[in-house]
Amino acid sequence: MTVAPMSGPPPIEVRGLRKVFRQTTSGQSVVAIDRLDLTISPREVVAIVGQTGCGKSTFFDLAIGLEAPTEGSILIGNKSPHSDFDHFRGKIATVFQQDRLLPWRSALDNARLPLELIGLPEAEQRERALTWLNRLGLGQFTNAYPHELSGGMRQRVAIARAFSVQPDILLADEAFGHLDEVTAAELRETFLALARECGSTAILITHQLEEAISVGDRIVVFGKAAKVLADIHVAQWRKSEYATLREAIQATLQNNEADLRLSRF
Amino acid sequence: MPLEEHAKSARAPVPVPDLIFPRQTLVSLLVFAVCWEALSHLAPALGIPPFAIPSLVRIAKSVVDITPIDVTVTLARVIGALIVSFVLGVCLAMAMYRSQSLDDYLHPMIRILMAVPVVSWILFAVLWFPGVEFRIGFVLVVVCGPVFLVDSLDAMRSVPRELRHMIQSFRPTTLQYFIKLMLPAIVPSIFTSWKVNISLAIRVVTIAELVGAVTGIGHQLSVAQELFSVADVFAWTLVLVVLLFMLEAIVARVEARLLRWRP
Repeated sequence: MTVAPMSGPPPIEVRGLRKVFRQTTSGQSVVAIDRLDLTISPREVVAIVGQTGCGKSTFFDLAIGLEAPTEGSILIGNKSPHSDFDHFRGKIATVFQQDRLLPWRSALDNARLPLELIGLPEAEQRERALTWLNRLGLGQFTNAYPHELSGGMRQRVAIARAFSVQPDILLADEAFGHLDEVTAAELRETFLALARECGSTAILITHQLEEAISVGDRIVVFGKAAKVLADIHVAQWRKSEYATLREAIQATLQNNEADLRLSRF
Repeated sequence: MPLEEHAKSARAPVPVPDLIFPRQTLVSLLVFAVCWEALSHLAPALGIPPFAIPSLVRIAKSVVDITPIDVTVTLARVIGALIVSFVLGVCLAMAMYRSQSLDDYLHPMIRILMAVPVVSWILFAVLWFPGVEFRIGFVLVVVCGPVFLVDSLDAMRSVPRELRHMIQSFRPTTLQYFIKLMLPAIVPSIFTSWKVNISLAIRVVTIAELVGAVTGIGHQLSVAQELFSVADVFAWTLVLVVLLFMLEAIVARVEARLLRWRP
């Protein structure tokens, strides 16, 4: 089992995506995502922002293929991450809010987990995992267990784990939200630089506007049931206007409709 | 913590549990031995027959006369049956974890198996199977297997959703899912099951060997009972207790080694 060589990441096409959950206790249906349309170009870094319960995490689960859409589709290069689950082995990688490292594995063994799953030879697994750990400043800690590392270091291992397969698509769900501001800013910068270097398409789910503005090429603002309230190309804003942009997104989230300041382009 | 300190503490040696008896244990054993010896001397004056409470010297003589072959046979039966029970228990647990319908069908049966008294299993084994070894193995597996199964299944279901979600996002095969996540995650529970089952198996094998076996500690206990030799019963019981402690100590060593990742 080896990673098929690809010329670059495929586009992500979301069409009429709908996800409805049935609550086990009350039996009521909850619409988490209601007819979402979205196109993400190859190598784009997209930040998805929205308030708690707006369907961001459901979108994350659908994008990595762990959930099936109720209606509509999400296609990555014309293949569904859910129906064609195995096709994306080694092509999609994730970073979660908590590091989710396996506590019985050392930093090195955690970083090489995805490489084991795609069946790379052991020497290559070690070499690649070591390279990524070194790049993330953890060269001294390759044999340390997760409980011996700080929160920021554990998240670095999680990032090394995600990058070790050099994925086409990277998804991060509130990956830096639980860290202190200095560590989060540092990791955000590293994550962005590595994603650009790998040529991966990156989708970051976040509720932090600063993070979305500093990282994303695009910011997609989700309202209730993942309704796209605004789709902002950050390059169209000057750095001096970032404060206005942040206020406009904030107003959009509060009013559940696009703020007029965002419609100037 | 600075990075260098972090690196040092990350490589600190793993503590191994101390297997030497603490002083309190030795003192209590010594007190018990002194009381026993005194009682053995006072027995005739108290109207107790002398053979009922033999002196420590008499017991020591019985210990010296212990036949290693019987100890080896019992030990082999216990270890063999525990390995078979473990493999069957964990494999079935994996199958039940994967298939809800299999779990629905097998779960009530397992509960019933666990409720059947050991004596009933021994009687069934005597009535069903002609071979002594098979009878003993059957009783041990049918008693210990469900413990491994239930503990493993519970442990698999307790693996945090976050970790299951994480590994699934990297798209493992079913085999990889169990080998990379489930089996390592249930190792602590497996060790608890081994400790419980070693103690259980030592007691069950003794009873099973009482019926029909011509070798083993249970058989020797039966012979000692027929000869009214309390010293021999005491000596063989001592062997069983030491055997239990030895097996537990080995499991504790392996556990400390395999679970060195725990804080």
